[in-house]
Amino acid sequence: MSYYEARTYAPILPNGKAYRFYFIQEVKSFITHPSVGLKLNGPGFYEISGIAYSGAGRISKVMVSADGGKTWAQAALQEPVQSKAFTRFRVPWRWDGGPAVLQSRAWDESGNVQPTRAQIVAARGQSARTPPVTAFISQHYNGPTSWSVAASGEVGHVYA
Amino acid sequence: MSTLRSFAALALALSTGAVCAQTPNLGRPIDPADIAPWDISIQPDGTGLPPGGGTPAQGARIYAQKCAMCHGENAKGGNNAPLVGGARIANMDSVRTIANFWPYSTTIFDFIRRAMPWQQPRTLTDNEVYALTAYILAENKLIRDNESMNPETLPKVKMPNRDGFIIRFPDKI
Repeated sequence: MSYYEARTYAPILPNGKAYRFYFIQEVKSFITHPSVGLKLNGPGFYEISGIAYSGAGRISKVMVSADGGKTWAQAALQEPVQSKAFTRFRVPWRWDGGPAVLQSRAWDESGNVQPTRAQIVAARGQSARTPPVTAFISQHYNGPTSWSVAASGEVGHVYA
Repeated sequence: MSTLRSFAALALALSTGAVCAQTPNLGRPIDPADIAPWDISIQPDGTGLPPGGGTPAQGARIYAQKCAMCHGENAKGGNNAPLVGGARIANMDSVRTIANFWPYSTTIFDFIRRAMPWQQPRTLTDNEVYALTAYILAENKLIRDNESMNPETLPKVKMPNRDGFIIRFPDKI
């Protein structure tokens, strides 16, 4: 077993045990548009688009929320949808100009569901401090990545 | 016209390709003897360990000369990680050390041989790597001070956190 398998890529769980090194990336999705760095140019129609992936097969469904997870809409998947392959999803969105939080969740054909952030934090724990960027203590994190949209149109990153 | 020409070229390539070459002709088959120096992986059970051996005392001398400038005197840490000690692992913020985390002793040999000294990797002999591995294990009180590490003894050293791991997908390994 290599150093990196033995030590670096073995995530520690809240009970002090660690997952032995594994390759499989579980079902996950993230929004690539809009995302940090973009400023929305006023209220109106936008296409929310992103990438979903599962190490256990094909993506079967992606749901997208614009209110931090309170309500969801099903996204369209771009064909071809292949096993263990990046799958583009998209959904139209009318921004009313108010603050919004965008996030996505994916399902795969094996019945796996991308966890919410609360679920994965409960299962894996979370750091009590800001780790150095090279520490990689959140390997295999597959919870949602959430983007905030401010009334100004600025897109930022939030935990939701 | 150009489409027709492409078709002709393709047909020619296909017909001659079957006769002349089975591959895109990008190189030559590599000789197993050329792979051997790079194929240095060591399994937890010791498979892949080269012949040789070394003691903690031999390792201490090499350590002082080639390792202490980064890892500190007596392996207690310096500009780079300590190689002895380590508090019990509690959560993802815990500092992982050889003694509190690494599941297999053979990983120490593997990593020293591959990567150390940092500025001169692959310059240590196998005996030197065994000696340094023995030194680190002895400093951590995981072997006795006079115990030699070699292909037979090293895999038998049970690391403290050997049972601290969960296999995430037992049916997929």
